[in-house]
Amino acid sequence: MNKLWIVTFETFLRQIKSWSFVMLILGPFLMFGITIGAGYLGANGGQNTNKIAIVGGQPELRKSFIKDDKNDIDKSVTDFKTAKEKMDKNDLAGYLKLDIKNGKLSGHYYGTESLNSGIKARINNYLMQSQQQLNITRAQLTTGQIQALQQQPILKQSIQKKTGTANLAKIISYWITVIMVYMILNTYTSITAQEIASEKGTKIMEIIFSSTTALKYFFGKIFGVLLVILTQILIYLIGGWGGYIFVQSSSLTRSYVLQYQSLINSVLKNFLSINLVYLLLGVVIYTILAAFTGALVAKVEDASKAAQPVIMLNLAAFFITFPFQNNLNSIVVKVLSYVPFFSSYFMPLRIINDNASGLEIGISLMILLISIVLLATYIGKIYQGLMLQTDDSSFWKRFRRGLSYNK
Amino acid sequence: MLTIQNVSKNFGDLKALEDISFDVRDGQILGLIGQNGAGKSTTFHSILNFLSYQGKITWNDQPITESIFDEIGYLPEERSLMPKLTIEQQIIYLARLKNKSAKEIRPQIDMWLQKFAVKGTKKDKIKDLSKGNQQKVQLICTLIHNPKLIILDEPFSGLDPVNSDLLKQAILSAKEQGAAIIFSSHDMANVEEICDKLVMLRNGQIVLHGTVREVRQSFGKTRITVTTDWNQEQLEKLSGVQKVEKLEEKRFLLSLSDETLGKNIFDELTHGQYIEEFNQQPPTLNEIFRLKAGEHNE
Repeated sequence: MNKLWIVTFETFLRQIKSWSFVMLILGPFLMFGITIGAGYLGANGGQNTNKIAIVGGQPELRKSFIKDDKNDIDKSVTDFKTAKEKMDKNDLAGYLKLDIKNGKLSGHYYGTESLNSGIKARINNYLMQSQQQLNITRAQLTTGQIQALQQQPILKQSIQKKTGTANLAKIISYWITVIMVYMILNTYTSITAQEIASEKGTKIMEIIFSSTTALKYFFGKIFGVLLVILTQILIYLIGGWGGYIFVQSSSLTRSYVLQYQSLINSVLKNFLSINLVYLLLGVVIYTILAAFTGALVAKVEDASKAAQPVIMLNLAAFFITFPFQNNLNSIVVKVLSYVPFFSSYFMPLRIINDNASGLEIGISLMILLISIVLLATYIGKIYQGLMLQTDDSSFWKRFRRGLSYNK
Repeated sequence: MLTIQNVSKNFGDLKALEDISFDVRDGQILGLIGQNGAGKSTTFHSILNFLSYQGKITWNDQPITESIFDEIGYLPEERSLMPKLTIEQQIIYLARLKNKSAKEIRPQIDMWLQKFAVKGTKKDKIKDLSKGNQQKVQLICTLIHNPKLIILDEPFSGLDPVNSDLLKQAILSAKEQGAAIIFSSHDMANVEEICDKLVMLRNGQIVLHGTVREVRQSFGKTRITVTTDWNQEQLEKLSGVQKVEKLEEKRFLLSLSDETLGKNIFDELTHGQYIEEFNQQPPTLNEIFRLKAGEHNE
């Protein structure tokens, strides 16, 4: 196997086997699980207290209603007496009595509290549809008459983009993107700088460089860290998708998902777009810089300090976005959306708000890509000198001596 | 054969190496000696292409590039391994970087651990090993891929006499297999014992170069060990004696300014009496080292 890939996979495997990575991955899932679990426990504290029973003299009616709505119904209760007993014991929110008299369908709800709007609308809908079906059968209408009666009115929605859900979606997308970029950049700049500083501190680099070139080793480390990031993003995407399916089908969250479906769709669309490319390229350029700062450290004890300059730069980029959230036409936003290290924050901000054309995005991406290549090549070239320079002199003396290795 | 021709290296104003030239043939051991900062590690770093330099360094007439790295075994001055790996993982990782497969190396690990008497098993983590055992694992990493050129920077440092002997045996065994070996050391006894040639550096310049015998002979037979009833004061008064050192009761080491004076001293000491020992030899490497280093310090 090529030595570049040996270094890449060694870095990758070492990172993903570490406890810090496992916790990093599990953290959001644990939070999600705890939130859902707590919600579920809270909602089900009284077992079936949110559910209702369907009773009445017409088994067919009961059956067809339950078939349409399984989640809000306690199917074990079939008669009036049991339903009343369970409601008295607070095991049931209430019960609905369905009947037909003289071709007229009726529903009577008995409960401790009023029906919530969701189930009330579903019961009304069911009764209306069933009554209509009954009326059609009793009136013995022709097919044409039935079709004429089945005509429905049309409701169309035209949403102003800068208001309502669309605007809220942009704000949420902005915060999710910016916080996610910040968190991921912070995590991986720390990991990279510390990993490289620790290796330098252990003085193993002379052995490594007697086996492969510094450039190959440097790129191997960067690729290894990138593989870790990709693994994390992939796990989050799969986990996020699974979580989304779960909240869509869970009785606890389904109504909220349906209620905010368009908002969720907009946020997902904003996130799973070119913004993800900016996130990835942002991680690449910050990782390269972190490798550089890690290589400047003299002692293994200073490994934790190695990431500080990059973390500060990331923090600055993160905070500078705040005042411009509602001022996208500012020249500062326009300029910083092309400047590497800042463009990973500012261009997604503009993209979310439809403030950047395809050409502008293309130019910004190109500048970012070229910067990554130039930075990686330059640091790769001086990397050997920096990594082999372990004397405990001042920062600048070490830096100059490191550079003179290749002069 | 490793050939170093007119190599110079500056770090800013500091001349780390100044026009040094020597070679190490296959099956030959060269000792590189010199005080701290003399340029030994810079020489090794130049051979390994860690830094740019003026001059020419070749291995079998080829410039040393990555393709040659697989033939090199290098033990740096600073002992260093990856603490979180197990012995086996560490050895395999470094061997893979020398283009050896894990399949090839794994069956050899136990044998090497035994050879160097490493305490523990291959599943032990590096960080749990003693400093001495870590050093031995590092030596195994240097030698396990059967390198043709072995570069050892202060390999004996920190090793007790038993482990020093193990290392010497390993070096001699590699020599027998035809490897060219170059190592630096402050322990002149080890250099004298196993080296075929030596190079002494001072301020980046070669001040001594040749076989151990040649170098010693070049200083003349200025060292006399004598066992006599004479006391130290009497011996110091002898003509041509620069220094007298008492080794044991009645046993002294005399340093002469000129080897030809040895005969006069012998005559004086044996005049009308029997002496148990009179041995005129060239100075030891240790004495030569001190002498050369002393010249610089003066």
